[in-house]
Amino acid sequence: MRKYDCLVIGGGPAGLAAAISAHKNGAHTLLIEREARLGGILKQCIHDGFGLVRYGEKLSGPEYAERFIDVFNEEKIEALTLTFVTRIAKTVEGFAVTLVNRDGVEIVASKTLILATGCRERTAKQVSIHGTRPAGVFTAGTAQHFTNLLGEMPTKKCVILGSGDIGLIMARRLTLEGAEVLGVYEAKPTPSGLTRNIHQCLHDYNIPLYLSHTVTRVFGEDRLSAVETAEVDEKMQPVPGTEAIVDCDALILSVGLIPENELAEALGVALDPKTKGPVCNAQLMTCVDGVFSCGNALHVNDLVDYVSESGENAGENAAKYAKRPRNEIPVDSSGALLYAVPQRLDLAADNSSVQLYFRSREVLDGCTFKIIVDGETVFSKKYPFLRPPEMEKLTVDFSRFNLTPQSKITLDIEVKPNA
Amino acid sequence: MELKTIQKKLQKRFGGAVTAELVANRRGGGSVVLSGRLATWQEVIEACSMAAEKYSEIHVVNNIECDEVTPQKMRLPKIENNDLDDQKPDVLIIGGGISGVSIARELSKWKLDILLLEKEADLALQASGRNDGEVHPGIDLSKGSKKHYYVRKGNAMYSQICKELDVPFKRVGQYVCFNNAKLKPFVRIYCQIRKKRDGIADTRLISGEELKKIEPNFADGFQFAIANPDSGCVCPYGLTIAYAENAVHNGARIALNTAVLDMEVQDGIIKSVRTNRGTLYPKLVINAAGVFAEDIAALANDRFFSIHPRRGTNSILDKKAGAFMHSIASVMEFTVSKTHSKGGGILHTVHDNLLIGPDAVETYEKENTQTHRESIEKVFTKQKKTMPRLTERDIITYFTGVRAPTFEEDFIIERGRNTDNIIHCAGIQSPGLTTAPAVALDIEKMAVEILSQTERVEKNPDFDPIRHGVPVLKEMDDETRAEYIRKNPDYGVIVCRCEEISKGEILDALHSPICVPTVDGIKKRVRPGMGRCQGGFCSPLVTKIIAEYLNVPISEVKKSSADSAITFGRTK
Repeated sequence: MRKYDCLVIGGGPAGLAAAISAHKNGAHTLLIEREARLGGILKQCIHDGFGLVRYGEKLSGPEYAERFIDVFNEEKIEALTLTFVTRIAKTVEGFAVTLVNRDGVEIVASKTLILATGCRERTAKQVSIHGTRPAGVFTAGTAQHFTNLLGEMPTKKCVILGSGDIGLIMARRLTLEGAEVLGVYEAKPTPSGLTRNIHQCLHDYNIPLYLSHTVTRVFGEDRLSAVETAEVDEKMQPVPGTEAIVDCDALILSVGLIPENELAEALGVALDPKTKGPVCNAQLMTCVDGVFSCGNALHVNDLVDYVSESGENAGENAAKYAKRPRNEIPVDSSGALLYAVPQRLDLAADNSSVQLYFRSREVLDGCTFKIIVDGETVFSKKYPFLRPPEMEKLTVDFSRFNLTPQSKITLDIEVKPNA
Repeated sequence: MELKTIQKKLQKRFGGAVTAELVANRRGGGSVVLSGRLATWQEVIEACSMAAEKYSEIHVVNNIECDEVTPQKMRLPKIENNDLDDQKPDVLIIGGGISGVSIARELSKWKLDILLLEKEADLALQASGRNDGEVHPGIDLSKGSKKHYYVRKGNAMYSQICKELDVPFKRVGQYVCFNNAKLKPFVRIYCQIRKKRDGIADTRLISGEELKKIEPNFADGFQFAIANPDSGCVCPYGLTIAYAENAVHNGARIALNTAVLDMEVQDGIIKSVRTNRGTLYPKLVINAAGVFAEDIAALANDRFFSIHPRRGTNSILDKKAGAFMHSIASVMEFTVSKTHSKGGGILHTVHDNLLIGPDAVETYEKENTQTHRESIEKVFTKQKKTMPRLTERDIITYFTGVRAPTFEEDFIIERGRNTDNIIHCAGIQSPGLTTAPAVALDIEKMAVEILSQTERVEKNPDFDPIRHGVPVLKEMDDETRAEYIRKNPDYGVIVCRCEEISKGEILDALHSPICVPTVDGIKKRVRPGMGRCQGGFCSPLVTKIIAEYLNVPISEVKKSSADSAITFGRTK
């Protein structure tokens, strides 16, 4: 049986960064990727804008991935592509991972696991779209796969539901390919994607954005022929009487991403209902010793730069991992936050440079992010605005807050009363 | 029921708007034919139900015109050619649902030229692919009906037939749960009658505590339950396809995209059957046309019954919810319901998802399988009472099927009453999947008897009851799986990550006896796209594999029917 210190599942940006980081920190590392090539979803993201935070450059998805793949290859890190993990068992020394590929079935052993399994897209039926079942209902990522990887047009005239980033990117992409994008419908009163994408992908191409609108039904027996749209109320429920029929040949959905954690759950990893990713400490270790999580499997990121960053963090900590008792306390978030990562701190670990990621629940102007320990504000940072689609990141030295196992940590956002 | 009684009832309720007359059939038996005009379809249903006697062999024929009904033509395949012209099959089966294919398979035990026509692009595209897959115990059926006659026989055949056809089947057991302890003595008597008189032998009452032990996630407070351990679940379209493949393996032929358009009938004999692919001259016709069985009967001058379509919607939940329970929870309504609505239930499927539903809504639209938000909400509200953990958030898909009941709410399994060379397998609704294996045996017998009157019908000496399905790699132990991969490395390439389906299995489906090289055809056979991402990741990959197999551009690959293109050609 082959034995490793660290086994990384997923060869997208998180997994690549994690494997490189684990390897550079001395771990004998193996990366498992189910597709034929490394790079994950970046392979089909041929638009630019990747790497602004990390490199100060606007790279395309494949270019961004290439930088990591080059290092990965230079470092001669082992990888198995077209390989699928079917089962993970806990062992005395770590984990026994069953792999399936063209060579057969193999079980490899590893002391640690890094789950870099990314996310999947929410589907039409998960947002209660009814009607017929024609061809022409795609998630944005699927439409992007057809367009960018297979070079095939999934539509000539479409409606996009949801203003998530992939939906916005695809609105522009399909327009450039000569398709007519009749509009982007968003059930929320504010856009779900990055502001820069609203401008660069919709406004620049005169594609209308219908906020507080949704798609309720699809029509067409064979290929989609029309959709029914409707306005929605504050509870995001369709308002009767506002229905309109829009003729088109496709409905493209960008209605949210769900971290893929089926392997994690099978291992007994606890998930955070807010992020739908594992509950982790600052070392990105889950509640199961030796199992780490990073990238979009941990929480859905809007920038790949932070995906890589969390991968590096998980990789380094997995390489340094030695089984020892933990001394963890929760990091609670107030209702003003949509979520925050990490959700726990291990007081037995080094917390002098904790990477803290959070999103506000609502669009807020002129506000202050606060870390409160036992009722006392120990850290604060002012923001001119916070928006749920735009994740914020801070590096915080928690070691100077004199935390004890009895400490109660709460993250909060305060809005200036007169703002 | 006397005709006078029917007329009186109709007069009282609808004035003179609906009239009833008794029409005798040539070969015996009669029908109550209703005529007139009513405003709503609901009223039509009411009038016909008034005139109908449950399980009676005197059938109601509905000739009532209805203001709100826009007559709809049957959706027809786009293909037009003469590929089947002038063929003279011994048996022509109309309909590629579970009834038609099981009959084809049983008849393939004989040296007969069997041709089955299906108007859709694949088998099991209507009710047989759009139901809950329960193999019923028959606890809700009393003696005297065909449903009851066949349900026990059919249920008992399932273990063997599924083994022969290589189809997963599990007897997971069904529980009908009760909150009210006071009902227990009555339910006990009900069960005893079912057991002793009606032969539902596996029935027993269990206590609330016992139920809680079996299904800990059921609601607290159930006092007792009726248990039927013989109940099971099967993949309904999987079984339909398996039956069809075995029929084809034994010499039967299946023509997809082929619809019956007309028939020529002379002196009570069907002379010819016109289709979109030519005119056929069968010796015997078997009507297994589901919601269109009445239309086929009409073409055969043998319309002695009517079908009133009733749609139902089911939801499929993520496999994570599949862990909440492992059996079938059924709601039984003891009141005589006017709409004959089944209670629906929660079912742990053979693929380890949960299935919730169905509801029952009368409709005049035979082919409208649209789903509606209200159906899902209604069904969930009801089923959450059985299992509070159910949540709409776990839904991965939903679908609507249309049942094909008669007004007598019983099956019609008989030779034509006015036309000699037709056998009807009509009015098939729940528990039609359970009964199909047993019904097929009887229709086989009837058909051979009719054909034997004019010729010698010999056994097919090469009949092989065994069908080998596509291997399911993920269910194998590591060594077997490795062995398969060694022989064919494509078995090691996972294409559908949610259901863990390999490229090898997809290619096997493309090479199967009834190849349907569409994304849905492959999905129905080996399940890529059936999981929680609903084909988000794998549908482009499956499309590409099909295109490569057919050696056509990707834009030529269809989702299902000829007009369901997935893409429109190359990008710039």
